[in-house]
Amino acid sequence: MPDTRRITGPEETQSPFAFCPQFLAQSAEAFSDGKRRDGRKAEADHRPVFLKAGLISQAKGSAFAELDKTKVVCAVYGPHEVARREDFSMQGQISCEVKFAPFSCRVRRQHVQDGREKDLSTQLLEALEPAVRLDSFPKSQVDVFVTVLENDGSALSAAITCASLALADAGIEMYDLVVACTARIHGTSILVDPSFSEENLKTVSGEKPGGQVTLGFMPSLRQVSALCYHGDTDLDVLSQATQRCQDTCHKLYQVVQDTLVKSVEQRMNNS
Amino acid sequence: MVDVNLSEAEKTFIVHGIQDNFREDGRSNEEYRQMDLETGLMSNTSGSARLRLANTEILVGVKAELEEPKPEKPDVGRLEFFVDCSANAAPEFEGRGGEELATEMMNLLYRAYSASTVLDVSSLCLQSGKLCWVLYVDVLLLECGGNLFDAASIAVKAALFNTKIPSVKVRQEEGEETELEVSDDPYDVRRLDVSAAPTVLTLSKIGHNHIVDASQKEEACCLARLMMAVTASGSVTATVKEGRGSLDPDSITEMMQVGKRVGKAVNEKLLETLKEEEQKGLKRKTVGFLR
Amino acid sequence: MAGVELLSDQGFRIDGRRPHELRKIECRLGVFRQADGSAYIEQGNTKVLAAVYGPHEVRGGRGKALHDKVVVNCQYSMATFSTGERKRRPRGDRKSQEMTMHLQQTFDATILTTLYPRSQIDIFVEVLQADGGNYCASVNAATLALIDAGIPLKDYVCASSAGFVRDTALVDMNHLEESSGGTELIIATLPKSQQIVFLEMNSRLHEDNLSAVMDRAVAGCTDVYNVLDTAVRDHVGETAAAIGGDAA
Repeated sequence: MPDTRRITGPEETQSPFAFCPQFLAQSAEAFSDGKRRDGRKAEADHRPVFLKAGLISQAKGSAFAELDKTKVVCAVYGPHEVARREDFSMQGQISCEVKFAPFSCRVRRQHVQDGREKDLSTQLLEALEPAVRLDSFPKSQVDVFVTVLENDGSALSAAITCASLALADAGIEMYDLVVACTARIHGTSILVDPSFSEENLKTVSGEKPGGQVTLGFMPSLRQVSALCYHGDTDLDVLSQATQRCQDTCHKLYQVVQDTLVKSVEQRMNNS
Repeated sequence: MVDVNLSEAEKTFIVHGIQDNFREDGRSNEEYRQMDLETGLMSNTSGSARLRLANTEILVGVKAELEEPKPEKPDVGRLEFFVDCSANAAPEFEGRGGEELATEMMNLLYRAYSASTVLDVSSLCLQSGKLCWVLYVDVLLLECGGNLFDAASIAVKAALFNTKIPSVKVRQEEGEETELEVSDDPYDVRRLDVSAAPTVLTLSKIGHNHIVDASQKEEACCLARLMMAVTASGSVTATVKEGRGSLDPDSITEMMQVGKRVGKAVNEKLLETLKEEEQKGLKRKTVGFLR
Repeated sequence: MAGVELLSDQGFRIDGRRPHELRKIECRLGVFRQADGSAYIEQGNTKVLAAVYGPHEVRGGRGKALHDKVVVNCQYSMATFSTGERKRRPRGDRKSQEMTMHLQQTFDATILTTLYPRSQIDIFVEVLQADGGNYCASVNAATLALIDAGIPLKDYVCASSAGFVRDTALVDMNHLEESSGGTELIIATLPKSQQIVFLEMNSRLHEDNLSAVMDRAVAGCTDVYNVLDTAVRDHVGETAAAIGGDAA
């Protein structure tokens, strides 16, 4: 029963940031004093990465990933019976759900999944499916839940890396780990692992807006499992950006592997 | 997606054909199927197009409506995409069954049209922060015969080309409500410039080769595909990899090259056809589904 | 609707028809290749596509199957751009659900359901452009699609509507006439046996005039039947000629 004595607010609300010119005025400059906006020196520099596996005790497997301020946590459950099974299938299923925490962005996110989150969920599924041995759990399903705790850019790539680590932690059989990297194309520069402010750089008028590309990569197999791009650019620039993402993925691979080894060692010591 | 059940032998047949650059319907790997396109056939839309690509049938309607711009982007109008997979196409789409495919198509269209250079949305704004045109682009999938994404994007571009927005003048006097003045002349309309709008090109990896415009049977053999939105000038506005398989980085580069080349050609041909149809003017008789 | 004269003194309606005249009907059978049967119909500016799948195994659990007759499953949906004002959803709203139910009742009464026990027939109707008489056009399109699919029917089902303006009954109402708030009677008949399978009337009408309006609507159905029958015969003739048979 709603409180009738209280004046109800308007049905639709807008974020105050939309009316605040300081926040609206995005810069068009990617570099100031030869440094990127968050102090990184080069275009190809990745932010400091922190990874941890096995932090949620109830889940079969879990992982936490941090790209400086971007924080993502992932939990994996299953394999379990498919709830609403339609056809018999020798292949297992993965279900992915990406959710931004209500406090993760500048604007408050709703509790229900919105269009962008659904899109990210499909992209995550696309990235993971080629890496997982689906035939190892026929008739069953694995659930992957990703929550973005703080979004400071490159949330999708953080989610992919984190989810593949969590799957490995859960002991789901995989061909390889999936490591992901995002690059922002802005004018002539290709910024690896963009922060939120770099993702929202303003386009210089008369120039192509560039855009953003995310690459999911399986380094040992040398296979691309996800590639998603939107923007407007020439093919050469796009290939250059994907190449740079690929190089970065190779570097990140070592970190992910080390984390996995560490978590296995820890588990051995505990038992 | 509508399922086609193929036996292993049938799949092998298709894969071997593609290896030899000779597909089951006689095409080469980079060849499109016959396309039928008609625009302006729905009288209560601002623009419409119907595309038949072999057995794939798509109907697109564009409706222009006056609305308030989004507060974070007060100076631009916008495009809103909506895809409906009709149960006519496949019984599986009944009720909410087609929603998954519809969302996927919708997301790709949003992605392809996300860049500001693709379509001049700022010209759709009539009064900053108060009034702008919103173009509702509604895609209706009526029959599935493979390569739905390409077909939908081509039909969308054609419908946008066909779109006629009534010319409206905004008058505002001191301290008074804004007044809209709509032109009395039905031929006094604004058209959209779609020369930079993209169409989607799907490259399906089958065996060690990749093909464009896969039929339904070929799609059943395909493990991974790369969808890219290409404009007439050859720039790329979106790419998405789809499917359970993964791709080699080298083959991605190769696929993108092919995609760019074929995509450019499709765009050029499309604009040419649309202009040709336009020149026939009022003498052209719309046939719609009666043919 | 004030200011609009639905029937002029000279006896013409707003779109120039006489009271007993139908709008122009154009139709085509076999529009789609994948569906078992399909048809497209234009009645004036109302355009409807129908597809029929089946008879096939019952989908969505055995529980729905009927042991003595076929399950007739209908879905009515309208394209979001079909109406003057854009629709937000193509189906699932109250009006479409009601329409789905009405179609189901109509075709349950017409299809020889006992021939296919434990099976299902799907009838999907998609309104591409709505300009009044949506139910009638849907029924007529679905009939053609069922015939195209070769499903045994008792007879064609033909639907038409009638209204009552200035002491005159008007057949086959368009959107403007429908929305003027007057009487509308919608009827679906089996023309050969002159049986009524569906009847709906809204708004007020004096009892004395009921039979006149009914007669006009039934006459409309018969006219529709003649058009549909010609279309079917033409289509069958063409198909027969295409496979080299004798059209007769």
